[in-house]
Amino acid sequence: MIGLIVRRLAQLPLIVIVIYTITLVLAWKIPGNPLEQGEGRRPAPEVIEQMQKQYNLDNFWTFYGTYLWNASGLRYASDTMSGARAREAQHAEESGSAPATRPVFDLGPSLQYKDFSVNEIVASALPVSVTLGGVAMLIAVVIGVGAGVVGAVRPNSFADLATLGVALLGISLPTFVIGTALLMLFGVWLRVLPVGGWGTPSDMLLPAVTLALPFAAYIARLTRMGMIEQLSSDYVRTARAKGVSERGVLMRHALKNAFLPVLSYLGPATALAMTGSFVVEKVFVVPGMGQHFVNAVLNKDLFLIMGVVLVFATMLILFNLAVDVLYRFVDPRIE
Amino acid sequence: MARLILPLLVVLALLGALILIDPPEERADLVFINGNDVTTLDVTRMSWIPDMRAADLLFEGLVRNDVLSTGFDVIPAAAESWTISDDRTRYTFTLRADAKWSNGEPVRAADFVYAWRRGMLPDTVADYAAWFLLVRGGQAFFDWRTSALDQYAARPASERTQDAADALWAETLQRFDESVGLRARDDRTLEITLERPVPYFLDLIALPVFCPVYPALVSRYEIPAADTGRLELRQGWTKPPEIVGNGPMKLTRWRFKRDLRFEKNEHYWGRDTITLDTILMLSTEDPNAQVLAMNSGTADWLSDVTPPYRGDMLAERRAFHAEHAAEYERLVAEGLPQYEVDRLLPPDPRKHVQSVTVFGTYFWNFNCKPELPDGRENPFHDARVRRAFAMAIDKRSITEDIRRLGEQVATTLTPPGSIGGYQTPAGVAFDPAGARALLAEAGYGPDAKGGAREFPVIVELAFNKDSGHDLVAQAIARNWQEHLGVKTRLVQKELKVYREDLKNANYMTSRAGWYGDYGDPTTFLDLSYSTDGNNDRKFASPEIDRLLDAARAELDPDARTRILEEVERILMDEELPMVPIFHYAQLYMFDPERVTGVSAHARTRQLVAWFDVLGDGKGDDVPRSTHAPGEPTPYLPDAWKRAVHERSAPGTSPSLEPAS
Repeated sequence: MIGLIVRRLAQLPLIVIVIYTITLVLAWKIPGNPLEQGEGRRPAPEVIEQMQKQYNLDNFWTFYGTYLWNASGLRYASDTMSGARAREAQHAEESGSAPATRPVFDLGPSLQYKDFSVNEIVASALPVSVTLGGVAMLIAVVIGVGAGVVGAVRPNSFADLATLGVALLGISLPTFVIGTALLMLFGVWLRVLPVGGWGTPSDMLLPAVTLALPFAAYIARLTRMGMIEQLSSDYVRTARAKGVSERGVLMRHALKNAFLPVLSYLGPATALAMTGSFVVEKVFVVPGMGQHFVNAVLNKDLFLIMGVVLVFATMLILFNLAVDVLYRFVDPRIE
Repeated sequence: MARLILPLLVVLALLGALILIDPPEERADLVFINGNDVTTLDVTRMSWIPDMRAADLLFEGLVRNDVLSTGFDVIPAAAESWTISDDRTRYTFTLRADAKWSNGEPVRAADFVYAWRRGMLPDTVADYAAWFLLVRGGQAFFDWRTSALDQYAARPASERTQDAADALWAETLQRFDESVGLRARDDRTLEITLERPVPYFLDLIALPVFCPVYPALVSRYEIPAADTGRLELRQGWTKPPEIVGNGPMKLTRWRFKRDLRFEKNEHYWGRDTITLDTILMLSTEDPNAQVLAMNSGTADWLSDVTPPYRGDMLAERRAFHAEHAAEYERLVAEGLPQYEVDRLLPPDPRKHVQSVTVFGTYFWNFNCKPELPDGRENPFHDARVRRAFAMAIDKRSITEDIRRLGEQVATTLTPPGSIGGYQTPAGVAFDPAGARALLAEAGYGPDAKGGAREFPVIVELAFNKDSGHDLVAQAIARNWQEHLGVKTRLVQKELKVYREDLKNANYMTSRAGWYGDYGDPTTFLDLSYSTDGNNDRKFASPEIDRLLDAARAELDPDARTRILEEVERILMDEELPMVPIFHYAQLYMFDPERVTGVSAHARTRQLVAWFDVLGDGKGDDVPRSTHAPGEPTPYLPDAWKRAVHERSAPGTSPSLEPAS
């Protein structure tokens, strides 16, 4: 177990560097100038030239090296060891200037949001997405497993067909349709929930449900399939023959095994839900991470593109690792 | 079975409980949606409208535009008066004695010098740096600093120490003081010397870009970096609690991508004229979510209504007016402004959407270079061809059947009547037969011998996706096919690609638009100067260049206006490097019975701090509406009223009539 974790963690930097290189090459190739607005007056050419120098955008290899150096934490380590950080802090104190904020993993300034560093943006958006994604996954698991078990206990009954229908809707209806419909119903007509925003639990309800529905639908199908298979297996028949209560059979025996495929799906699904959904964030005005994946590319905000991709990649790797570890607890047979 | 549903019920009950215990936040006096989050509050570096709208709350320049006057009058702000030298190059401003920063410190002339110097430094990379370089010696200073930085970067690493960077910075400051035409003669006297007369200078410096910043704060965040010699721009001073401004409000909270909360600045000299104690600016970006927020009462004013169904919203507004036709026409006949008419009509959400014609034009570009990007001969190099294509576009059908936003058909680049004393030319009208004849004259079409020469290329219409440009492109393509018999091809591009292709003239014809920045025709006409950085058409006419140069050198305002009129006449009657299609309309959304102080002026600048919520018991709760140029503005501080009275209005631009 420890060996697995150590091995996987050692692989992490290598995988991230490969992802970093591919993403930066692609992002660099996006046509257009990140320092220009989409519409309107262009800055003078000599100003553009200065902007590129200020942000290291005039040379791919310099950018590649500098950004990696800063983002990986190597610069922080090197500056600390060489005493450069101490000297800088001292100079700042002597001249009365504001101390430079240098995070360990320095993801650079945002080109679009000039007053914010990518670290600040991630620090403000990631907790929102993690909270929303966490709540959504909780809802998804409760609804999904519940519906799946109901469907499996009485296959082809009304309850099964009804959950199948809802699941089908959940998978096939795009999020922006469900989201907008919920918003119109609860926000505009009934006026019981806010029409968007973030900060209070009631702000979270509609986006979490919207985000949860497709996951719930998929989990319901996985659970139903697993349960039907398990309920017809020999050990379940044995348990029933022994006189175990139906609830005991379902919960203690069948569900435990039927849950394995759900668990392996939960790893990447949680990472996905927790890094934000562009559509849900747009519809419900949630200040999460999802919008930055899309907008950063549209704006060619290089620092922000690299920052969110690195964060997402790291999260994905860690969640997959967590699922592998959990697997071993649930099913000790797996090596 | 019931037990399986139990966990679900528990989660739902928990969420329900969370909602019930949810403490409602106290609503701000005014909540508005700014179209997007603010990208920067560093006034010197900003260039886009939502940023400037926020800056107008927090900062105050030397002068302001009175956005409720039809003339968009320039009125005193942080400066109480000014004099202009006879050669129109030296401006001497006297700051008002009670102008204060939000920390209580006085605003000094040196604070302006500091802010403007930032604008001129290559280190600051201000989008609008070029405007600061109008000051005498500015361009030379920018160039000197640029080359000094290049030389510094070329030094060996051992010579690039903190001391060396500090020394270069000290030399830069000295150079600035010796060579640039900006002086703080004393704490209240600011002297600005320009390279050449700039007739629209006062209107230009009313933009927030020219506001001061607080030197004692900002200088702590801009330190010469040892390895490059450049000022390292550290973030932080634009956020609360650090930020210090001199405007009517102060920023108390900025939650990225959520909202900005403003409170009245008790140190502001005109504080008695502000009736809003708190303002909340929402960063809602999605057009549909913005309208929902308005409909649910979450927000009071929406700065730009942009969902795809906005044409329908305007149609419903017209239906509302039709239902109350008698009352509506009586109020209009009384000469009341648009918002006032709607305020007096019965309450109805349909009247909350307002369309205003703005100081901007949607047009179609021709690539004017002799050759096309692929090396073939470019038929659009010939002005007759461009004019023929312009005459073949049915613009009315585009505005009425496709856009449906109440936009005015355009035949000129400068919106007619938008600049006082300036006459726009007639431009070319829709004339399919004339277009065919002109195209034949240019050598394409039936000739005298009965033969015909086909148009040599498939005409490509490039546009960026979104915003309905595809529909306009289709309409124009159909016009050209039907009336001129040419083949067309639509080319849709992603915004950044489209921008890049425009800049490199990598297109045949393309959609484009332009908003004027200041109240002078050159804000539109300079686009056709051969070497202008925004001349995407690569249009080059020695005559136009000569006339624009002559206008630049002309000191007599009337003579200058005549020259500029001639420039636009040649461009819009003869040369047509671009075809104006319509003048943009912008849609605001607010309840005119509740919110007042919104400007209907074409320049679309809004001073949100001077909005008032009617019936909230704060202020006099009297509707504020548009007034004629030079008239005192009733809601402004007494000092302003006097100043406006005493000064003959610096007549910039009577506003366009609002579109309805």
